[in-house]
Amino acid sequence: MSEKDRLEILKDILFTEDREDIDKIADRIELLEQTYNNREKFASRVNPIVERQIDDFAKNIPNTLGPVITETLKREIHNHKDEVVDALYPILGKMVKKYVAQEIKVLSEKIDNQLSFISAWKRRLRSFFGGSKEKELLLNDLSSEKVEQVLLIERDSGLLKAGYSKTETIDEEMISGMLTAIKSFVEDAFNQKNQELELIEYELYNIHIQSFVNYYVAVVISGSYSLKTKDKVQDIIFDFYHNFMEMNLDLIYTSRHLEHPADTISTKLIEKKLAEYFGNAKI
Amino acid sequence: MQKSKKIVILGHFGVGKTSLIRRFVEDSFSDKYKVTIGVHITKKVVEVNADESVSLIIWDLEGTDEVQMIRQAYLLGTHGVVFVFDVSRPSTFQNLNRDLEIVAQKTPDTPLIVVGNKKDLVINDELQILLKDNGIKADYLTSAKTGDSVNEMFTHLATLLNDLS
Repeated sequence: MSEKDRLEILKDILFTEDREDIDKIADRIELLEQTYNNREKFASRVNPIVERQIDDFAKNIPNTLGPVITETLKREIHNHKDEVVDALYPILGKMVKKYVAQEIKVLSEKIDNQLSFISAWKRRLRSFFGGSKEKELLLNDLSSEKVEQVLLIERDSGLLKAGYSKTETIDEEMISGMLTAIKSFVEDAFNQKNQELELIEYELYNIHIQSFVNYYVAVVISGSYSLKTKDKVQDIIFDFYHNFMEMNLDLIYTSRHLEHPADTISTKLIEKKLAEYFGNAKI
Repeated sequence: MQKSKKIVILGHFGVGKTSLIRRFVEDSFSDKYKVTIGVHITKKVVEVNADESVSLIIWDLEGTDEVQMIRQAYLLGTHGVVFVFDVSRPSTFQNLNRDLEIVAQKTPDTPLIVVGNKKDLVINDELQILLKDNGIKADYLTSAKTGDSVNEMFTHLATLLNDLS
């Protein structure tokens, strides 16, 4: 027996157990590799653990994140109370309006039927005595209302925030100031709490005024101004204002960490929105 | 860049509030007195520096001998106040300091400029003595008739408001 053979026998005697351990470890690694590479096998092992963790997290949300969320919401509402009320105002206004509209719909239809009968007779009489054709009078009656100008005005100062006009008019900033002065005077003079000036009539024009907390919207309308017109104009104003305040709140929220946080969206953007909402409005 | 600022002009009857505004906005003057009823609104853009201008929306409130009676609704959202008295008529400044206190209460934290108008009707030395005797400190002594110090007063206010915003 050579020296080399004897060394091998000695190795066998000394490292038998180690070899067995190494073989076992290799088998385990192979098994783990198979499990890891097989998606289903891996998922069956891991999924229960992850699901348990998610369940625990979901159960603990009220205790862990709840107070933080509540506190943040409270703080944001407290810091931007007017903006929040302004944002909610159009939604509440719409809800109330729809409810009331629904309630009077039946009554309104009955009155409409009566009126169309009376109006036809009145037109015939006007035609007979006035010399105009009944068709012309009917067309006059149906003359459509148009939005001529829209102004978004700061409620207290009367400063113009943004405006939209179909035709060239006198200075919008001065109109805004005068409208605010008239509105302030009327509301102050009659001293009725929670009562707002809603309409100014001027020959062929009507100025519909919709007040919110920080701003009010004045819409100049040409043509006949009916309750139906008022209803449609209000809807457009509510939609616009809701959108405007939502954009405003978004901006305030996203810029709150900046050195100079924004307090309102740009005039150009508001004017673009005014044109979108009122430019082609069918009232 | 242009900002809009609301300023109100206050003072007793006939002190020249409307005339000051007309001089500033239209650079004109009329001797005929027309009383202001309610409020009249005008506008003028003032360049405060090379890059910035301020659009002054000027609320000319009807004159009243009782400052307390000024409608609060007209003062809401005001950025600056000009209180005008007539240097030739002592009754318009005899209670000036009390009037200014009331104005300050009605428009808290708002810059206030005190203006003695119609300086062309009095002799300067006598006027200085009169003001001193009555304990009055006017920021500007103006004349809507000659235009003296009118632009300076409004421009100063516009610059002040621009710096504050």
